[in-house]
Amino acid sequence: MTGWLRPWRRDLTLAPEAAARLAAWQALGKADLALPIEQGRYVVVDVESTGLNMRRDRLIAIGAVAVHDGRIRLADSFEIVLRQAEVSGKGNILIHGIGGERQREGVEPAEALLRFLDYLGASPLVAFHVAFDETMIRRACKECLGFEFRRPWLDLAYVMPGLLPELARKHRSLDDWLRHFGITNTARHNALADALATGQLFLAALPLARAQGATQYSALQGLEKAQLWLNRGS
Amino acid sequence: MPTDTALVAATADLLSRHAPFDRMQADHLAWLAERLALGYYAKGEAVLAPEQGEARTFYIIKQGIVRGEREGEAAWLELHEGECFPIGALLSRRAAISHFRAETDVFCYELPAADFHGLLELSPPFHAFCTLRLADLLARSQRQTQARYLSAATEQQSLESSLGSLIRRDPVTCGPDTPLHQALKTMREQGIGSIVVTEADARPLGIFTVRDLIGRVILANTPLDTPMRALMSPNPVALPPGAHAFEAALAMAKHGFRHVLVVDDGRLAGMISEKDLFSLQRIGVTQLSSAIRAATELGQLQQAAEDIRQLGHNMMAQGVGAEQLTLLLSTLNDLLTQRVIELECAANAACRRGFCWLAFGSEGRLEQTLATDQDNGIVFVAQANEDPDSVRAEVLDLAERINRALDACGFPLCRGGIMAMNPKWCLSLDEWKGLFARWIDAGDPEALLNASIFFDFRPLHGEARLADELRQWLAAKAAATPRFLHQMAANALRNRPPLGLVRDFVTESGGEHADTLDLKLNGATPFVDAARVFALAVGGPGTGTAQRLRQAGPKLNIPPPEIEAWIAAFYFIQSLRLRRQHEESESGQAMDNRIYPDRLNGLDRRILKEAFRQARKIQARLALDYQA
Repeated sequence: MTGWLRPWRRDLTLAPEAAARLAAWQALGKADLALPIEQGRYVVVDVESTGLNMRRDRLIAIGAVAVHDGRIRLADSFEIVLRQAEVSGKGNILIHGIGGERQREGVEPAEALLRFLDYLGASPLVAFHVAFDETMIRRACKECLGFEFRRPWLDLAYVMPGLLPELARKHRSLDDWLRHFGITNTARHNALADALATGQLFLAALPLARAQGATQYSALQGLEKAQLWLNRGS
Repeated sequence: MPTDTALVAATADLLSRHAPFDRMQADHLAWLAERLALGYYAKGEAVLAPEQGEARTFYIIKQGIVRGEREGEAAWLELHEGECFPIGALLSRRAAISHFRAETDVFCYELPAADFHGLLELSPPFHAFCTLRLADLLARSQRQTQARYLSAATEQQSLESSLGSLIRRDPVTCGPDTPLHQALKTMREQGIGSIVVTEADARPLGIFTVRDLIGRVILANTPLDTPMRALMSPNPVALPPGAHAFEAALAMAKHGFRHVLVVDDGRLAGMISEKDLFSLQRIGVTQLSSAIRAATELGQLQQAAEDIRQLGHNMMAQGVGAEQLTLLLSTLNDLLTQRVIELECAANAACRRGFCWLAFGSEGRLEQTLATDQDNGIVFVAQANEDPDSVRAEVLDLAERINRALDACGFPLCRGGIMAMNPKWCLSLDEWKGLFARWIDAGDPEALLNASIFFDFRPLHGEARLADELRQWLAAKAAATPRFLHQMAANALRNRPPLGLVRDFVTESGGEHADTLDLKLNGATPFVDAARVFALAVGGPGTGTAQRLRQAGPKLNIPPPEIEAWIAAFYFIQSLRLRRQHEESESGQAMDNRIYPDRLNGLDRRILKEAFRQARKIQARLALDYQA
């Protein structure tokens, strides 16, 4: 088996081909976060895991959609299930719907993560509750590819309350915000379907952000930070 | 960029719940899905507007409601999940006519125009959906300049004839190297306004018309020895000989040209001009009406009646709007009835008596459809010293002959016996007044039903002053009896439009009419009934539904956009009725007014829903005015 089940080791060595792919990705330039947000490519991500414990639970699937020039391009989407040595519990399977067989037949984790990096390119990321998605991806990258995944993230869980403060009190979860915009999600807790729904929420946020003068990814990050401070203060 | 197909497949799956995607091949659907982008429009945001110029994107609504509004018209098109726009604009590569606005938060799948055209070629069901819908749109939107040929088509046409059959003479041509002066000389000698530039093998290269003279020759100071290839309009519009004249008219309307070439297997076969098509249209109606006027025997009128019906079906097939079509049919039927009466009168002494032939019901309202029976009566003059019964005895014989002659012409005798030959409906002016007064005073269900038929009377032949006097008397009597108007309104409100609470239609749930809607009773009647009450309330002289609404609107302080929305909805329902009757007649079934809403295409279903919503609005207005 891979190093997936074992604790992260410094002596992890990648196959030359995998190392080359990783190096190529790391060599990509940085995205310009000051670009008007209607331009460029942004990747909206959602992950599924064996549970909600960010230290113990494992990454099962990654779903992602790309926003190009203010629109989700359907053909540019990504979904991958990571091979699990140990199938997650029944209760957990009921949540994400990835059964034991599919978990065992998933893509070998290091390969799955490399494909994700290929797909991501240099694009900045967007998610709802970044802390969870980012931690799961970062831990998996550390364990399987032996590197620290550091990329710009934008957290809609903070951006949305900043854009619609009057709704902040009653809107906490992704489902609350989806309901507010009438965004239907045919398969909640399917990584790709959730990424699509989150992507739609991101699109819905853009005109609101524009109305507040936030027209760039970096400006939205500023909004997110302000909201973070606000939440700490309260 | 790596492509994952999961989202494409899921989107194709989602789309396949809606027409026309449900009929498309899976690989074509996938082709479409992988070219889509998903866009968002906040509530109130403009999605598409005419000012944006030629339409560049095909929109499919993923979720939310988009409202399409026309300049100066009441809102009347609501688009829901799975519905698409702006098909007409994309097909004809022009700007959208409507403003499309997000009525709620909206997510739309968006397809670039080039891919829309690609899909048209790829998928026959998609092509059929888009083009049939266009025919529909054209029929509905007579006011558009693009439809000018269609509105001209209120006069009969053989627009169904093939272009090949319309070519009058061999086309006059010249070669690309022919000098201008020689081409002009040919045109002058032949007395023609245009010349086709062709290769030696008769392949058309371009066209030159006298209209081009000013700009390209005189003002441009062009030397007379310039070769024609430099002066012609290249790539002229060409259609095969089997194409319908109608298509030529559409092509001219669309491109603003006055000529269309007929090209057979790449070779020029002839030229059709705008004038050819127009003259074609005029002859029909003029010929038909003069044939009726000149008829001297029943046989000729029977033929004319058959021609009228054929005309109706032809126009139907060509997508002529319901307003023009019903008006034209009623007008020609009027003419025919008048001639029948004149012929019968020539042989009958009773005609020396003053009388007036009355049309009731849909004929009285000038709203006859393709399936129509007789609804008529007589008002006659009786002197003070005359017994109406003895006058009636004289007139009835004549009335029966007329009724039978009309029957022979294909207007079946009325099953309810509402005909002039029935002594009940052959009355003196005073008797009619007495009868109407009894109905108005009684207000019982039978009286109300009668009122809904007879109060739409219209004089057709004879002494119109009798009908006019009856109309004036009725207006005064009805206005003076508010209780009666309340009863009429209450009666009309018993017939509710069949719109379910959310999005579905309420249809008959069993028996031979399971899953059908009666377009006449449930669709048209609410408008007709409401218009009648409004007309009686304001004492207007009109009998047509649209006419009544337009006359009563200002007096009742109903905003004009609301009135026009009601009229548009009414005519949409009428056009569906006509289409249904046309289809039934084509397939040899008996004509009725029943449709299966499930079998309508998505757009028609959506518009029908909107039409029923308008029916509810007119009823709400009626309830407001006449119920506490």
